[in-house]
Amino acid sequence: MKSRLFSLAIYMAATISGLLVLLYPFFLPAISMRSGYGTFRAGEMPAMMTLLLGLCLIVLIIEAQGPMMNTKLIALLGVLVAINSALRFIETAIPGPGGFTPIFFLIILVGYVFGGRVGFLMGALTMLVSALVTGGVGPWLPGQMFTAGWVGMSAASLRLIIQPFATKSGWKKASGISPELILLAMLGLVWGFLYGAIMNLWQWPFIAGAQGQSWAVGLGFSETLQRYVAYYLVTSLVWDAIAATGNVLLILAFGAPALKALRRFQKRFSFTYTPEDEAIILKNGEGITR
Amino acid sequence: MKQPWAWVIWLATPLVLFSITRNPLYLMIILLCVLFVGLTLQGVRTGIPRPFSLWKLALWIIMFATVFNALTSHYGQTVMFTIPGKLPLISGKVTLEAVVYGATNGLILIGILASFLVLTLALRTRDLISLIPRAFFPVAVVTSIAVTYLPTTLRQFQQIREAQAIRGHQMRKLRDWLPLLMPLLVGGLEHAMQLAEAMTARGFASTKSVPVGRHFHPRFLMLVGVVLLSMGWVSQLSGAQVNGWLLIGVGGMLILGALWYQGRQSNRTTYHRPAWGWQDILTMLVSLCILALFLLPIPGLNRESLYYDPYPKLTLPPFNPILGLAMLGLLTPGIFVLYGKPDLEKSFEFGK
Repeated sequence: MKSRLFSLAIYMAATISGLLVLLYPFFLPAISMRSGYGTFRAGEMPAMMTLLLGLCLIVLIIEAQGPMMNTKLIALLGVLVAINSALRFIETAIPGPGGFTPIFFLIILVGYVFGGRVGFLMGALTMLVSALVTGGVGPWLPGQMFTAGWVGMSAASLRLIIQPFATKSGWKKASGISPELILLAMLGLVWGFLYGAIMNLWQWPFIAGAQGQSWAVGLGFSETLQRYVAYYLVTSLVWDAIAATGNVLLILAFGAPALKALRRFQKRFSFTYTPEDEAIILKNGEGITR
Repeated sequence: MKQPWAWVIWLATPLVLFSITRNPLYLMIILLCVLFVGLTLQGVRTGIPRPFSLWKLALWIIMFATVFNALTSHYGQTVMFTIPGKLPLISGKVTLEAVVYGATNGLILIGILASFLVLTLALRTRDLISLIPRAFFPVAVVTSIAVTYLPTTLRQFQQIREAQAIRGHQMRKLRDWLPLLMPLLVGGLEHAMQLAEAMTARGFASTKSVPVGRHFHPRFLMLVGVVLLSMGWVSQLSGAQVNGWLLIGVGGMLILGALWYQGRQSNRTTYHRPAWGWQDILTMLVSLCILALFLLPIPGLNRESLYYDPYPKLTLPPFNPILGLAMLGLLTPGIFVLYGKPDLEKSFEFGK
């Protein structure tokens, strides 16, 4: 219990720090009396953002991989990341319409079935491996890994919401689609837009665009938000709408059989073998498999 | 040059330079140096599959950045023409300054992309994976498995597609992808099961250092480190009296210290550790000298020309020959690759 609470504190702290780094244009006017980026120079900001997000990501990955010294989990993640990276590789070679990408489908389902830690690693490592394979390594990678990791982790929290619906079997009969699939599709829809919106924050403060869309030092919160929304609507809405629609369609079309397969293998992967003499070492319930 | 860290330090140099200057003359010099290194590497490592052409992408990025900025940013004094009407965002004067600013943005983006492509050309995937710190070894194993299994997955996808085609399967709508995706997923999961059994049979994770992430002290250090990082970030942005750099520095050190401690707990063996040759050392030293010249306070060195801005009226960008000359140091690994070509070819052939 103590370890879990501590783990939660680390996740919260690293996530809040990451968000503080990405969302600074919105709160800067509230905390800074100076003009400019406080005591930073403008040229230092992208490098500082990369550095700080990278450090937050290190903490999140270390925490997420903590109890992962389980051969089955390592092999499972390795293979699932490979499948997802192959989908991204195919998508890079034959681009789909707009922002359509098949990778979030599997990240969401894996996070939902195997839990938040696995979901986070699935998202983050998919971005890492596919970047290594497609030559997409760059300063944007920590941000992509961070955000995709949270896509997977947030899917696990859906289980808490879905639990009450699971007992109401009448809903599925009425709608023809399982309630969990509808909620997962809704999550895919939200992340389709949110992923783009978060990744835009990476470069938005440094882009000199139209007057009503670009960020300027000294603006208040509401005007900053207004300008960002205007920028997002003009540059990203259509792109992200295709991504979000793609997520929904993929989850509704393939979600049910994929969930069934993942759950079947989750059961097969869940047995643990603990030698008698080592039972004492593992009695704290870490579930390490030898 | 075979030492991955020498390449990483070299990579840091153009990235830092691209992030601190907007002077098109300097940007062109850095980009040409990076392209020279890339082309020499490409001459040695032929046949590497790449999903897209850099030249096409570069052209597209520059055109997009220039046109986008020219049409949406109406600042500047040198008006080229005016778009009439009341089209939102677009109507208004199109200035030469906005064109130059947009093209500069494009150059920076291409430069960053090209620098990373050079790293991808210089190092093989296994070298890149070897750069993952020891503390992340479970993640490194997952990454290794994924990278190794990726070609198999693509091959498997092709086989499934052919098998379904023989049975008369046609791709007409979205649901038609199901007979391709499900065998791929289920086949992959079966493979994971076999792999896990093989790893267990070979004694993977059978040492007492199993619960690596469960050590309390490094986790506590990481938590404190993250809190200090965010405090430092906020205090730097707010311009408060507290030294934000110090907080960020201490926070970063705590996180890296925890990482180092975690790494010490894990046993990792390396079959072949790349040695530091004189070319690696020289490249590293040259890169560090360039970084020092551009980042450290050096009396008498004028860096004003780095901060060139085309707005409000376009002028010729200033040029400091000392800075320009220093940038040519980026050519170092390219020269080594060019003159060490036969050796490299031999080593890559051996690698096959």
